[in-house]
Amino acid sequence: MADYRLIIIGGGLSGLAAGIRSARFGRKTLIVERHSLPGGLNSYYYRQGYLLETGLHAMTNFAAQGAKHAPLNRLFRQLKLSRKKFITHEQLGSEVIFPQASLQFSNDFDLLCEEIARHFPAGIDRFRAMAKEIDTYDPFAEVPWQSARDFLHDRLADPLLEDMLLLPLMVYGNAEEHDMDLGQFAIMFRALFLEGFFRPQGTMKDLIDMLLDQYAQFGGEIRFRAPVEGIISKDEKVRGIRLENGEEITADAVLSTVGIPGTAQLSGWPLALDMDEYIGKMTFMETISMLPEVHLPPERAGRTILFYSLNDELKYHRPAQAIDPSWGVICFPDNFQGLERQHDAPTQVRVTNAANYELWQQAAQDKEQYRQVKEECGQQSAAAVSQILGQYNQDAVFQDSFTPMTIERFTAKCGGAVYGSPIKIKSGRTPFENLFIAGTDQGYLGIVGAMLSGVTIVNQHLLG
Amino acid sequence: MTRDEIKDIILEIIEDIDEDADFDNLDADQPLRDQLDLDSMDFLDIVMELRKRYKLQIPEEDYPELATLTSCVNYLEPKLQDV
Ligand SMILES: Cc1cc2nc3c(=O)[nH]c(=O)nc-3n(C[C@H](O)[C@H](O)[C@H](O)COP(=O)(O)OP(=O)(O)OC[C@H]3O[C@@H](n4cnc5c(N)ncnc54)[C@H](O)[C@@H]3O)c2cc1C
Repeated sequence: MADYRLIIIGGGLSGLAAGIRSARFGRKTLIVERHSLPGGLNSYYYRQGYLLETGLHAMTNFAAQGAKHAPLNRLFRQLKLSRKKFITHEQLGSEVIFPQASLQFSNDFDLLCEEIARHFPAGIDRFRAMAKEIDTYDPFAEVPWQSARDFLHDRLADPLLEDMLLLPLMVYGNAEEHDMDLGQFAIMFRALFLEGFFRPQGTMKDLIDMLLDQYAQFGGEIRFRAPVEGIISKDEKVRGIRLENGEEITADAVLSTVGIPGTAQLSGWPLALDMDEYIGKMTFMETISMLPEVHLPPERAGRTILFYSLNDELKYHRPAQAIDPSWGVICFPDNFQGLERQHDAPTQVRVTNAANYELWQQAAQDKEQYRQVKEECGQQSAAAVSQILGQYNQDAVFQDSFTPMTIERFTAKCGGAVYGSPIKIKSGRTPFENLFIAGTDQGYLGIVGAMLSGVTIVNQHLLG
Repeated sequence: MTRDEIKDIILEIIEDIDEDADFDNLDADQPLRDQLDLDSMDFLDIVMELRKRYKLQIPEEDYPELATLTSCVNYLEPKLQDV
């Protein structure tokens, strides 16, 4: 008999959710995580006494408690977590800013419609018709790749509006450059525009602890600092894993959340295409500033997330320079409903820009050069953002940034590709009959998406 | 197990998987799905819970037998008679 019914590689959000699902019905389950902390891409760390979240801008897919079919609430039922006790803070409101126009949106879809009616009067009826179509589209059906750009252009016929809608949807969940798959577009459209942004009460650590507790409650086991070095296989089946320290652990099935390239490397899975095709080109740099106070221009006060482009056209592709500051995301993690900032606690601004992995990798060969590139990019980013916010970070008490190298180091995502492979495997299947993948490369993205992925793959393949 | 006990078990399981479940106006002969607003993932949980508790294997083609409270009891009665 094998040591475990199921071994899950990776203690990120998809792995934890999959673990809860598996352990809940009495299956002996083990999660192995290479780091000393859980959470993967969306974890936390301590710096100068602050608990900083690595990723969190906002969670997507907001749903009020009681809306039973909403993905967020379904997820809670599946994990047997109480949605009633899970306190959420909705966004104040966000905005997409282009040189010629801007569009506000919130968790009330009507606001986006009003904004479109105001700035694109000719486009509002078409937009409403398109939103209806998206609402009934099945993004999980296994159909060939279809261009979201062609779809949008056909329905809206207004390149500016098309790009403005695509910016938030792409930057929060598109592994491809230039265009995105229509199914992915539909998932993101619902997650951001129809459902919306919120923050859980407390920090990312509280959310992750809640998952860990639930997993432990059901008898699940987790090992940290346990990097997997290989997946052991015989013929068409996998038998277990080998850790870097040489230890072998067997299991009836293995679920990997480390992406297609990572899983292929560990298992010797012969990929259909060149490995490069599975390594996403979109990676990012993020700068976090702590400020005593943010003074925003009055028309931008009280926003939660700003998606900006200083160009008329959206340039969603790998930049030729280390970063492309001409478009990006500005997030104010304190600007959610009902969050009270502690008196004289500093406030945070997070700025995200697309980055070029190869250039960062070259710079990282030399410590001093890396530091310099990091500083220059931080300045470029701040200069671009000040075109929108005015001088905002002069008196920052603290700044930290992470780069594609940081992402790669902490998440083992090849090329620092936050959204993983541009080619997804929606079924979660691999050539090995009892090896499955979940998480980013299965196609659901973001915090809620990653957890849904873990749940779905366990339900489909592992509970029988 | 008696029919009433089986009924209680089903309701207890549903309550356990759905904190919003409201049985006040439940009609035992109408589909549970519509009345309680459950989806297929919730039904999977009912099946899994029965398996965990009573080692019952319910094949997928039998899931329609679980449509209403009464049909659940009819279906489970012979299977749980010795429990
Ligand atoms: C900077 C940043 C900001 C983000 N902001 C948001 C946001 O605001 N809202 C949102 O919804 N989403 C956000 N995301 C995306 C979200 O974090 C991810 O989509 C999600 O966390 C992915 O989860 P996952 O489980 O699929 O993968 P991962 O989190 O990558 O989990 C994989 C895990 O596997 C481990 N691992 C890798 N290799 C091995 C090995 N060989 N052996 C053992 N363990 C291994 C890794 O350490 C990791 O813990 C952000 C991501 C980043 C990077």
